[in-house]
Formats: sequence, C-alpha cells, structure tokens
Amino acid sequence: MKNPLDTMPDAVRQALVTIQEGFESTGYLCSDAIATSVFLATRLDKPVLIEGPPGVGKTELARATATWLGKPLIRLQCYEGLDESKALYEWKYGKQLLYTQVLKDKLGDLMVGAQGLRESIARLHEFDDTFFNPEFLEPRPLLKALWEPGGAVLLIDEIDKADQEFEAFLLEMLQDYQISIPEIGTVKAHVPPICFLTSNNTRELGDALKRRCLHLHIPYPDTALECRIIERRVPELNASLRRQLVAFVQSLRGLDLKKSPAISETIDWARTLVLMHAEMLDHELVRATLNVLLKFQDDIALVDTELFTLIHAAEKSA
Amino acid sequence: MSEVLGQFLKALRAADVRVSSAEGIDAGAVFQNIGLADRELLKMALGQTLAKTLEDKAKYADCFEQFFHSADLRRLQRDESTPEAQAEPDLGGGDGMGPSGSGGEEGATLQGLLETGDRAQLQLAIANAARAAKINQIRLFTQRGIYSRRMLEHMGLEALEQTLHQLQKTGAEDDVTRLRARLGELREEILATVERQILLLTANAGTRLREEILHEMPLARAEQSDFRIMQLLVRKLAKRLVSLHSRRRKIAQRGQLDVRRTLRRNIEFDGLLFDVVWKQRKIDRPKVVAVCDVSGSVANVARFLLLFLYSVTEVLPAVRAFVFSARLAEVTDLFATLKVEDAVATTLRQHGWGSTDYGRALEELSALTLSEIDHRTTVLILGDARSNYGDPGHQHLRRIQERARRVIWLNPEPRSFWNMGDSEMQRLGAACDRVESCRSLRHLERIVSELLRYSR
Repeated sequence: MKNPLDTMPDAVRQALVTIQEGFESTGYLCSDAIATSVFLATRLDKPVLIEGPPGVGKTELARATATWLGKPLIRLQCYEGLDESKALYEWKYGKQLLYTQVLKDKLGDLMVGAQGLRESIARLHEFDDTFFNPEFLEPRPLLKALWEPGGAVLLIDEIDKADQEFEAFLLEMLQDYQISIPEIGTVKAHVPPICFLTSNNTRELGDALKRRCLHLHIPYPDTALECRIIERRVPELNASLRRQLVAFVQSLRGLDLKKSPAISETIDWARTLVLMHAEMLDHELVRATLNVLLKFQDDIALVDTELFTLIHAAEKSA
Repeated sequence: MSEVLGQFLKALRAADVRVSSAEGIDAGAVFQNIGLADRELLKMALGQTLAKTLEDKAKYADCFEQFFHSADLRRLQRDESTPEAQAEPDLGGGDGMGPSGSGGEEGATLQGLLETGDRAQLQLAIANAARAAKINQIRLFTQRGIYSRRMLEHMGLEALEQTLHQLQKTGAEDDVTRLRARLGELREEILATVERQILLLTANAGTRLREEILHEMPLARAEQSDFRIMQLLVRKLAKRLVSLHSRRRKIAQRGQLDVRRTLRRNIEFDGLLFDVVWKQRKIDRPKVVAVCDVSGSVANVARFLLLFLYSVTEVLPAVRAFVFSARLAEVTDLFATLKVEDAVATTLRQHGWGSTDYGRALEELSALTLSEIDHRTTVLILGDARSNYGDPGHQHLRRIQERARRVIWLNPEPRSFWNMGDSEMQRLGAACDRVESCRSLRHLERIVSELLRYSR
C-alpha cells in the first residue's frame, strides 16, 4: 500500500531546493531552516517573525525573497513613536481643503431652486461623499503592500523598536491581511503580501503577535555555510585564507564578547584582507584590522591578549 | 493525525512550552503540507510554528526527540493510512499489513507476534495497547506498574498464559521457555514505553509545584539549592513589573486635549486655537536609594535580599544600591557590571557577615546621599533593624526622611518579632513612611509595584 504522505516530503524537499537555488541566484545563501520558513510562509499565508543577532541577514532574507519572486519590496522601518499615519495611511489634507473650496463655489449652482434649509440639505445628501474617498488617501507602506495588485513582499523591520500599541495595531493586518480605515471601511488585500517581521530582541514581543507568526531564529551560520557565503560575496579571496578567516571568526563567537562579529562583519573583514593583499592570517595584520571585526574597545583588548592562540587554532583547523 | 498532534501538543505544554490552540491549528496545517516521512523537515517546520522563543525552541527540540522516535514516525504514518487500525485498535496487529492474527483471537495474536518476532508489528501492537490503556493520563512514577500491566492485558496476556500452561502440560518445554523469554522482552519494552510517557508528561510538574511553593515560602527558609529557581522567579517578577511600568508611561504621553490651557495659551492669537495643549499625566520616574543589610543577623536571608536588590537595580532606571554590615559600601557599579550570581557572591564576600552598626551605616548613608535626595527619591531599606544594642541612628534616618519622597523599610522578620531583644523597629520605623514585613516573593512583588506607581 503506497501512502500518499510518503511522496509528499519529496515534493517539499524539491520545493525547498527550488527556494534555495532561487535565493542563491540573487546572492543569498540560506540554510534549510530558512528555506522551510519561506516555504511555509507562502503555503500557509502566514507572516514570518525573524529573530537573531544583528547582522545575520534578517533584512537580507526579505530582500532576497522579493528579488526572487519578482515582487516589489515594501519596507517599513519601525521606531519609537511610529503611528498609523506614518505606517498605514494619511489623508491628503491639502487636496481635501481644495475640494471643499471647490464645493463651496459650486454650491450655489447645486442649490438653485431649493426651497428652505431642509430641501437644500436633502439635495446635498444626493451627492456622493467624496470627501473621504480613497483618492484622497496617501498610502503608507502597509496600505501600499495591500494595494499592490500582484502582491508584494512586506518587510516590517525591527518591530521591537516600535511601541506596544503599534504591535497591537498590526495584528489585524497580519492575521487577515486587511486594515480598517474608520472613514471608509476595511481594505483587504487581493493577493496577500508575504510579510517578514524582524526583531533584534531589545524587548520581548507580545504573545498575540508571536502567535500569528511563524517564528524563525537565524543563528550565526556554521563554518561550511559561512565559507560559501564568503566565497560568493568576496570571490577574490583565496581558498585557504578564506577557511582560516572563517575559522578565526567562528572561534571569536565562542568568546565572551560584548558584540560577536556577524556575517556582515566577516564579509567586511574579508574585503579588507583582499585590499591589503593578505596571503595568510598573520599576527600583525590581524591586530591592525581587528577593528573591522570588533566594534568595542573592550572586545578588541580581550581578543588581543589571546590573538596568538586564536590565529594558531584557526590555521590548524583550516 | 490530529490525535498524534494533540498528544504532542500536550507533551509540549507539559514541558512548559506555551502553545495556544491557534498555533495548534497552524501545526495541523504544517502536518498537512509536509507529512510525516521526513523527520528533520517536520522538526524544523513544526518548530517554527510552535516554539517562539529561544528557550522554547530548546525545550521543543528535546520534546520532539522524545516524542517522535525515528521508528515511531514510520509507524504513526502507517497507522494513519489504515483506517481499520484507527477504528478498531483492539485488533492489535491486524492492520492488514502483514500476516494478520487468526480471526482476531488476541492470545493467538500475541503468541503469533512473539513467535514471528516482527518488530514493526509488535511496536504497533504496543502503541495500540498504550492508547487503549489511556496511557496519556499517567501522572505519577508509581503508576507505571499498573499501566504496563494494563497494556499487557490488553495485548492478550491472559490468553497467552493459558496457552503457555497448556503447552507446559503437553511437555513442549522448548516452546515455553522461548515464549517466556520473548514475553520478558516485551515486558521490558512496554515498561520503557510507559516510562518515556511519564517523562514526557511530568517533566516539569515538579518544578512548577516548587515555584508555587517558593512564591509563598518565607525567604529565610528557602534553601541554597532553591537560589537558582528563586532567581528565575525574581527575574520574572522584575520583567513583569517593567512591562507594566513602560505601558503606564505611554498612557501619559498620549493625553487628551487640555481645553483650559489651550485657550489661555492662544489668547495672543486672537483666540484662534493655534497652539494645542494636551493633558499629560506626568510619570514619576522614581529615583531610588536602596540599602541592604548583609550582616550576620540576617545571614540566612541576605542572599535573597541581595537578589532582590539586584533585580531592583535592573528594573528601575536610577537606583543607587548600598550594602552594609559595619560600614556602608556602594555596590551600584558592581551590580551593573557583574551577573547576578557573581554580584551576590562578591558582595557577600566583601561586605557580608560582619556585626551590624545601624547608627554608623545610616550616618554614612546620610553623608553620602543626602545632597542627592530630593522630593522624587524613594529610600528603600532592607534589614532587620537589630542594632546589637548600639545606637540605631534614627536621627540620621529622620533627616533623610525629611528630604525624601518616602522611606520604606522592609523587614524580613515577621511583625511579632519586631521590637523584641535588640530590634529597634519602633524607633527606626517612626522615621519611615512605610514599614512592611517582607518575607516572601509575594511581598516583594507588591512593594515593587508600589514603587513604580505613577503620581498624578
């Protein structure tokens, strides 16, 4: 008896490989977990909440998805005090004022022959209420994402920076892909956008928000993946130095640092080494360029004391 | 499928992963989309729908490993695809996959199973028996005997015993010993199944109970080994209070239109409401000076008082922390740089266990901080007010109180012990705005939340 479920994972695996290859063509290399989350997000129409240390490619994932699917990327950067007039929509007040002016001028023509106030008002009611009309709406990122005819990739960046109220305000959007504009009614997306939310974990997000999202944690990449990323991003670097460099960075992450170097820093460092025409990791060179990798003086001091053993270990493991 | 998922969710909840029913539904959708055959894939996908913090992810991974054995997955899947097995779990091995038992005769099935030694069949039979015995209701370790017995009975132990008896009579000794040995193996396997289930379902029940108890337990009686849990609890408490606090601040920022002040301000614009003023509630961002007694007389609670002091410095924005036994010492920087365990240990090592001198400590406190203390400052003192019959230094405390917004004294002793022996609660308490007995986490919680209260 052949079980239909048996063949399903193969199809899923196939889809994952497609995603990974698609991302690779845009220059973004990803792990299985990341591909799975993109797969699930498209299948279940659910937003993905991405957490992880800074610089591991959270924002980049959204960009890669947009490029790969050929959809526009709409980005909403969150900050404290962000409110719906900046995130969702605003009325074009100027145009609305002009409209009332025009209306005032035309009012005389409209009211010709009307007897008394009651009849005038009845006349007025016969006209559509164009004052609150989608034409006077200035769409902000969220509304733009809903209005996009072919669907969009919506990136809500650093949601943890926004206030708790804003988080609550997002719930309707994330669950049903619709938003309520009091004067008009609800606006619903024809094609639900693919939503990514990123968080650096500066504060604990609400349960309600988490419940509505898939949760993806992107850790620092393992050695193999990081090697491939560097190979892709900095192809000028020779292979043995690349392995040494990645091993060195990986060992740094094991130390108790204030801020561990992320992928973006590894890439910067690799570029630096290329510029310096380095052939291998040597002591002086590393010491001179350590500030590319580490951003705190305390960290640099700490690593400096153990530099010799670290470099040695990196050479050995490479 | 849904049954398996339900069980898994239950196990997750038992392991203290918070899973809502909405997330359960999502997990169902994941099942539909991914199926059971690819274990790694399933683990990743379910992990993204069910576990939403790093700690939860770790717990989830453990739980997943325990729940879905590699062997189990294949079995579950086969189970799903054969409706007969679902409808009539009693059939044991008779799911149409292999040589089915002779006419549903259970003893024969068990005997047959044991003789053929088909692992998959046996596993399936065990699972069915487990389901029939309602093993998911097991709660205590002592129940495992009953449950394994029930499962065996369900699989047809009685009939097997009879067969064995007959075989013995007819003198087929070899068969009997072989079957008995197989039965023994089966017993072990069933016991293992039951124990796994216990682990899954009750892993955290103990800790949770302990937490409840610790919450109410007097600090003095808490043991060293509880320090870790206590620390987690205090941290949780602090976190909750912080989030409450931040929300309050937001209320103040919004405000309503203040008509009176708007009118007044706009007089210069000829009464046109040009410059709008909002009603705002100011938030009291309390400055706190916290002093903790770490002398010998409070030795058994000093660790917890310090733990609390540490949490206070974490929660509130502007706290100066002091400890004293004979002399006063500031530990604000120490707390800011070290982790909680190290901070507490270092403080106790450097300043702890001396004999108390309240007079001197309070004098030094007023000398050090009096210039900083103003109408926004709350002074918090943790101590038992036992001054070894020395000068309690209440006059210094009174000078502090005159300038401070309020002085709160938290005493780890119950009220009935105050003013007995060398306790100076009477005199010192008179120089405080509030005196509280603070013996458990509940007390602490109440007091901190009071500290954070906003003023109108």
